[in-house]
Amino acid sequence: MRSLLIRCYPARWRVRYGEEFLAMLEERPLGPFDAADILLGALDAQLRLRGVGSQPSPRRGFTMSLRLGGLAAIVGAPLWTAAFVIINDGLESADVRAPALMLVAGSLGLLVALAGLSAFQARVAPALSWAAFALPALGTVAVAIGTVGVVFGTADFWGAFFLGLVAFFVGSSLFAIATYRTGVLSRRAALLLAIAPIPLIAGGSGGGFRDVLILGGLFCFTLAWMALGVLAVRQDRAAVAPRPA
Amino acid sequence: MTGKVPEFGRFAEPSLLILVSLSDGPKHGYAIMQDVESGTGRPMGAGTLYAALVRLEELGLVEALPPEERRRPYRLTAVGASNLAEQLRGLSSFAQQGLRQLGEHQP
Repeated sequence: MRSLLIRCYPARWRVRYGEEFLAMLEERPLGPFDAADILLGALDAQLRLRGVGSQPSPRRGFTMSLRLGGLAAIVGAPLWTAAFVIINDGLESADVRAPALMLVAGSLGLLVALAGLSAFQARVAPALSWAAFALPALGTVAVAIGTVGVVFGTADFWGAFFLGLVAFFVGSSLFAIATYRTGVLSRRAALLLAIAPIPLIAGGSGGGFRDVLILGGLFCFTLAWMALGVLAVRQDRAAVAPRPA
Repeated sequence: MTGKVPEFGRFAEPSLLILVSLSDGPKHGYAIMQDVESGTGRPMGAGTLYAALVRLEELGLVEALPPEERRRPYRLTAVGASNLAEQLRGLSSFAQQGLRQLGEHQP
């Protein structure tokens, strides 16, 4: 009952006052007056703390980057992959402007994911995290520019697109290695992301099982990004949740 | 802050009661509740107490001390003490005026 009532307060309030508030509530039995008073207090805190934090701003910034990065990964990765597959299949025959815009949106999503998750990891290893961020970030930007250039401009942008694609996949592996080493995000998802570019690059260079390798690599790549995103969001929620009563 | 009594809205009275309770030394939340109840004869709910306490802390009238196990004591700051004195002087002056007026008009 007590922990249920405390959950009515905003997460940021609970981080600062939750433990002492719970300790106080445990001092005496709760009556209907107390429960109603706590609910009113929670409503007041919800209204008051909307946009006004009671926790220190650096921590708020870190959890915000974790949440934003996680959500961007969850949305950006499947969008990027779906667009990539559609463009790859229908480049010669169909109008690919819509999937091209999807690819640009997915690239931007992954860029936000990279930035958000790197900012969170940078608390532990700033040099490694930002170094591992640079290459895939450049890659996503190059892919987005190359896509727009090819679809809406001239074929001269193919170079930027392919170079960006390679930089993005290799950079994702570097980001995954940094993620594994810092250990602040999921290491399993990082391992999956680290190995995903291997079948992709192998399939892209031709030879047997080309389609299987590319599709398998894309599947691992998307799954790894989404897993990183989901676990980052869950980690953020766990960071602001109160301890159970 | 000194010289100006902040606006607490519906938490004005609980805030004053908390400041008075802390005027004789630091206390944690439950001790403040007990102190207020013994002083006024009315209980103060936990939700009201913390809503007022958060405001007082944000205004720098009280400050949190390091936690003792899971309880966290609060104490009056110098600004809070000055503010409390000002509020009590205002209330005292108001009460004296009221008593004077009542005395003049009593049959």
